[in-house]
Amino acid sequence: MPAILPPPTSPLGPEQAALLERRVSIVVASRDAQRRPHLMRALGCRLCADGRCMTLLLPLRGAAQVLEDLRSNGAIAAVFSEPTTNRSLQLKGDDAQVLPATAEDETLAAEHLERFVAEIGELGFPASVAQTILCAEGGIAAVRFSVREAYEQTPGPRAGVRLGDGG
Amino acid sequence: MAAATVRLDAIRACLEGTVPGVMATCAPDGTPNVTVISQVEYVDAGHVALSFQFFSKTRRNVLANPVTELLVVHPLHGATYRIAARYLRTDTDGPVFERMKAKLAGIASHEGMADVFRLRGADIYEVESVEQVAAPRHDTLPASPNRLSALRRAALRVAAATDLDGLFEALLDALAQDFGIGHAMLLLLEAGGGRLYTVASRGYGRSGAGAEVALGDGVIGTAARMNTPIRINHATLEYRYARTMREGVAEALVGREIPLPGLADPGSQLAVPLACGGRLMGVLYAESPQELRFDWDDEDALLALATQAAAQLGALAGGGAADDAAEPVPPASAAAPAPAAAPPLRVCHYAADDSVFLDDDYLIKGVAGAVLWKLLRDHATSGRTDFSNRELRLAPDIRLPEVGDNLEARLVLLTRRLTDRQAAVQLQKTGRGRFRLCVTRPLRLSHVPR
Repeated sequence: MPAILPPPTSPLGPEQAALLERRVSIVVASRDAQRRPHLMRALGCRLCADGRCMTLLLPLRGAAQVLEDLRSNGAIAAVFSEPTTNRSLQLKGDDAQVLPATAEDETLAAEHLERFVAEIGELGFPASVAQTILCAEGGIAAVRFSVREAYEQTPGPRAGVRLGDGG
Repeated sequence: MAAATVRLDAIRACLEGTVPGVMATCAPDGTPNVTVISQVEYVDAGHVALSFQFFSKTRRNVLANPVTELLVVHPLHGATYRIAARYLRTDTDGPVFERMKAKLAGIASHEGMADVFRLRGADIYEVESVEQVAAPRHDTLPASPNRLSALRRAALRVAAATDLDGLFEALLDALAQDFGIGHAMLLLLEAGGGRLYTVASRGYGRSGAGAEVALGDGVIGTAARMNTPIRINHATLEYRYARTMREGVAEALVGREIPLPGLADPGSQLAVPLACGGRLMGVLYAESPQELRFDWDDEDALLALATQAAAQLGALAGGGAADDAAEPVPPASAAAPAPAAAPPLRVCHYAADDSVFLDDDYLIKGVAGAVLWKLLRDHATSGRTDFSNRELRLAPDIRLPEVGDNLEARLVLLTRRLTDRQAAVQLQKTGRGRFRLCVTRPLRLSHVPR
């Protein structure tokens, strides 16, 4: 397995890192050889300590095409959005790797579900909605990538602005 | 996993915007992009429209590479669907654009982003496939009222009407009793086609008969101008009628205008056109203080009912003319005893717009005003109280438009307006195509020529 070479610095500041720790909705996009995009909701995320590397958890059931795309070309985009505030962030990378989920990943997904139930519960949605959309019953896979680019995605005048160093 | 194909119209609840959709695109260089989107509008079983608000990366991508994928969620149980869709074109006007613009105004004000969201266009996509990617654990859907069954009851109720007054009542009864919609009004298009006038309403304490809405104004005017249903699920200032400032102000002070009845701050609004034979005839409007009150099934049912009512309106209006043509004009009735004891009612008619004022308060204008003025003059000169629709239709001093206007509808409007004002002059139906003028105070008529 080739080593992941993270970018020299992360485009994420403390504010973005904090958002990724919050009770966010996460959707991952890939694309196939014909440049047709595919997407699926992720069950949790973990930003590494230096902010340069992101791990996402995807359900095996429903994410087959996305995982296949990532295995074949590594191009990935993920949007993180906090339902109660609409604060959103998009991360991109080109070196995504699909890895087997660890016990730690399983725990993370279970915790994320619990916290997400509370998040959308504030908007009036019953727990069953979160339990359905974050269902991990068919097993999960981990996807790790280097955070190459980050974009502000909160609706408003700054939406689409690229964050951090890369320009 | 083999994915079962799902029909787009089976998942319309996912497209109400309750749970925001997410869209993936891909740049020509192969970089994917994913973003939360504020609106996915169901267009028909094969198309959706997305709101074009910003010149975003998503937009640049679809213009260069039109294949996309959407993720949408059912708000009641979380079932999740993936929609593969191909960008076709952008509409910057027309029914789909206006529907989305109205809905977006509701979403924007709900999200506190009224200044941020502006619809530049409706991006139309062809749906290539719909696939369920997360299934609800149990069938947890709460049983919602069956709108098809309600529509059946409503259709029979409306079909039973034998005259226009009965039709208007049946339509609003149907909304209240079959659909549980407590606040509604019916407006008809005037012959010139520029304005709609209220003929009946429910839930406001007064009929508001005669209140007007200009084409293009608010939810009702937009539904009329575009001949398409307009539905908004959240309170929005943009589509609210400026009626609050008028509340508590005497009608005379606001001139020749009858305030539109309605909720000051509706949470949900639904306006559906009445159209038949390609001709717009009016608008049926329903509203609720509650947000998210009306869904797709309500819109379908009310549009079907309004379409039936439009056909019936045309038939009854035409039939009415034929009916009363067969009847002779009634002879002038004997002079009624003048109610001499009461103070006289001052009636002033302005020829310029046929407006009529009772004791200086504005009552009505246009065809209805001309009709009332003729009745009162005939009454003053001959003491007549019984009249027929036919003689009004033939009267040279009532300038009925050549085509399209509806004398019966104007009489219903006039009758209701007089009732709303508890005027000393009232109209009473006495038979098919016949009615009686009831006057409880002596009249003092004055006329202001053109």
